[in-house]
Amino acid sequence: MAQAAPPLNTVPSTLLHGPIIQAEGLTKKFGEQFAVQDITFQIPRGSIFGFIGPSGCGKTTTVRLLTGIYTPTGGDALVLGHRPTTFTQSTREQIGYMPQQFVLYPELTVWENLNFAASLYGMGRERKQRMTELLAFMELSEDKNKLVRQISGGMQRRLSLASTLLHDPELLFLDEPTAGLDPVLRRKVWDHFNVLKAEGRTLFVTTQYVGEAAYCDYVGMMAEGRLLMVETPEGLRRRAFGGEVIDLSLVEPISYEHHIRPLAALPFIQNQRVIRTGEKELRLIVDEASTAMPALMEWSQTQNLTIERMEEFLPPFDDVFVEIIKAVQKEPTRA
Amino acid sequence: MRSLIRLLIRTSAFFSKEIYEILRQPRLIMTLVLGPFLILLLFGIGYRNEARALRTVFVVEPGSALEQKIKEYASSLGPQLIYVDATSDQEEALRQLRRQSIDLVAVAPPDAYETIRNSQQAVFTLYHNEVDPLQADYIQYFGKIYIDEVNRRVLRSITDEGQNEAMTTREDLAAARTSASEMRAALERGDDTAAREHQRQLEQSLDSLELAVGTSIAVLDGVQQTLGDGEIDSEGLRSNLSRVREGTTSLQEIEAGKNNYNSEAQRAGQVEQNLATLDEQLGEFQQIESSVLVSPFRSESQGIASVQPELTHYFAPAVIVLLLQHLAITFAALSIVREVQLGAMELFRVSPITAGETLGGKYLSYILFGGVIATILTGLVVLALGVPMLGRWELYALAIFALLFAALGIGFVISLIVDTDSQAVQYAMLVLLSSVFFSGFFLRLDTLQPYVLPVAWALPATYAIVLLQDIMLRGTLNPVPLTGLLAFGVGLYMVAWFLLRRRMARE
Repeated sequence: MAQAAPPLNTVPSTLLHGPIIQAEGLTKKFGEQFAVQDITFQIPRGSIFGFIGPSGCGKTTTVRLLTGIYTPTGGDALVLGHRPTTFTQSTREQIGYMPQQFVLYPELTVWENLNFAASLYGMGRERKQRMTELLAFMELSEDKNKLVRQISGGMQRRLSLASTLLHDPELLFLDEPTAGLDPVLRRKVWDHFNVLKAEGRTLFVTTQYVGEAAYCDYVGMMAEGRLLMVETPEGLRRRAFGGEVIDLSLVEPISYEHHIRPLAALPFIQNQRVIRTGEKELRLIVDEASTAMPALMEWSQTQNLTIERMEEFLPPFDDVFVEIIKAVQKEPTRA
Repeated sequence: MRSLIRLLIRTSAFFSKEIYEILRQPRLIMTLVLGPFLILLLFGIGYRNEARALRTVFVVEPGSALEQKIKEYASSLGPQLIYVDATSDQEEALRQLRRQSIDLVAVAPPDAYETIRNSQQAVFTLYHNEVDPLQADYIQYFGKIYIDEVNRRVLRSITDEGQNEAMTTREDLAAARTSASEMRAALERGDDTAAREHQRQLEQSLDSLELAVGTSIAVLDGVQQTLGDGEIDSEGLRSNLSRVREGTTSLQEIEAGKNNYNSEAQRAGQVEQNLATLDEQLGEFQQIESSVLVSPFRSESQGIASVQPELTHYFAPAVIVLLLQHLAITFAALSIVREVQLGAMELFRVSPITAGETLGGKYLSYILFGGVIATILTGLVVLALGVPMLGRWELYALAIFALLFAALGIGFVISLIVDTDSQAVQYAMLVLLSSVFFSGFFLRLDTLQPYVLPVAWALPATYAIVLLQDIMLRGTLNPVPLTGLLAFGVGLYMVAWFLLRRRMARE
């Protein structure tokens, strides 16, 4: 689980210690079509930044703007202290990039492909040990002499990831690195990302698996070329539901008059949001679950009610994402 | 130093990658080596180095003298004329021609004799059914050669008759010499009566001789006017005859009853001597073959190169050049466009590799590969087909390098201006097609119009064919095409580098 951190777009940049990536009003148009529109964010060194959004929302374009593949139509960005369009060779050596599509060579073996990637970054004798380690980590050691066209899509994805990590870059741009991987390996890969983060590296990861937001320190949500928000995972949940969520089960059947209306009137209940989820079950949106739960216990005793079960509900990020998108679409300026 | 090492390592990325990819296709390598070799071998075995023989039907008036002559000549004019038939039915002959059961219909001129008498050439009309312009030209050339042969034979026949006339002349001459000799003997004896009798016989012989020798003199005059001074001097013949006549005339007044006729005998001796000279000159004329008189010249060519290559040997360097050029262009043309299609270009843009390093690695790998193919192919044609290698191997290697360098440049430029690999293959095929027609492979460059020559010199094969033929078959190296090819290669490298740099830059 990623550590909680303050949301970047709400924290003054002066509080951040040397952000490794800074984007200010970054915009990219293809013809008259905005691919990315006016996005602003900062990413501190040594963090994992997750970029989440539906397909075609502008995630890959943002990565390409930050890696220098695209020239921005508007705005500016600094990566490793340099504008991506003026990267020097030494700056590029500090960057690892895993494109969304598989770009290794099908007629070469797994080992030869890694060797090629190592040569691209000018790696010398140290490459052999590093390649061996990465192949073992990606569970590809036994397949190193196979032609890439003979291995599965998941194995190709792992090989691609291994190629990106090979030269031990300081900053990694990973465009959907876990696409096509099984859940066990996905979890393993994310664990490795955390190890890399612990070593002081910064990871910019795009993903369509909304649940992977939980592994990130910061999550940027994109839709239709706009950056909707940058939050911590917890902050996202809060933003999605307007507070924290508590699920409550009573022994007695629930009535609106005796239970729901009095509960909605309690001061720690957010916007009187009490939702009936069953005959004896309720879902409550509160400011903070840790303070709301004792208060609820106290309230039940005064009402002669017996609480059978009460716990904080952590909604899956899929639901979080859907809620946020719904909320954004309801805003008149977004419509 | 560290950055230099990194540059070399990055360049080696593409060098080894391309080599590995090529080695994964052993069948391709076998095809590239064995294909051209087998084609050359088959060509060498199967090519008939002789002019095409034409199945010919003659259309001629039946029973005419020309029909007889045609039948006589047709079988002996040469191997390129296959006599099929002589007919008076021109339409039927043309129908056969349309069915392509024969190749040529030769229509003899009607009333040839009358036409010639009217000081006009009699025309043999040749009908063919060729759509190939080269074959149509060949038939025109064939007609000219064979009509020349017919004309030569007619002339020879006339000359033969002239020489036969000379035979009769010599008989007259022999009678004249006998009369002169007997006249001289009679004068020495002082028998003026007998001398006058022999003088009269001599004058009669001289009258016949003057008439007969005219034909020979006409033939000799023709030869002499065309060839200049020769052994046989028709003017000498004429003056000799005139001296004989003068000598004989001066003996006309042989007076009767003189004591001696020494001075007359001396003049008769002179006449006798002049007749002997005349006889000798006519003898020489007769000894000349009539075929020599009508065709006094022939040519013999002698190459100054140390070997005279066979046709297969001549084409072998050009085949090697075309194969290597096509191989280099195709590999290079597919190379970068495939990286683009694979999406690898995106990876390269983010990585520290530069356009120069990318191109450098690819150039090196393909030059090495092309060099290996060239070595094996050259070894095969030299050792198995016996194609001579008169020049130095290191110059040959240099020429191959220059060819591959320039051809790769064309390939990379193609690769950087197309969007798909099928487009790249089409462009490579266009270059191959252009090379077949414009590089001097089949058609010599001097047969092309000057405004087409820039196309020829825009092809590496044009330079390389000259270079390899010179090195292999003459043992020499012309530095001009070598320099041109290298300069061309450098220019193409610069263009490819510029295009790749632009492709690897930001969008």
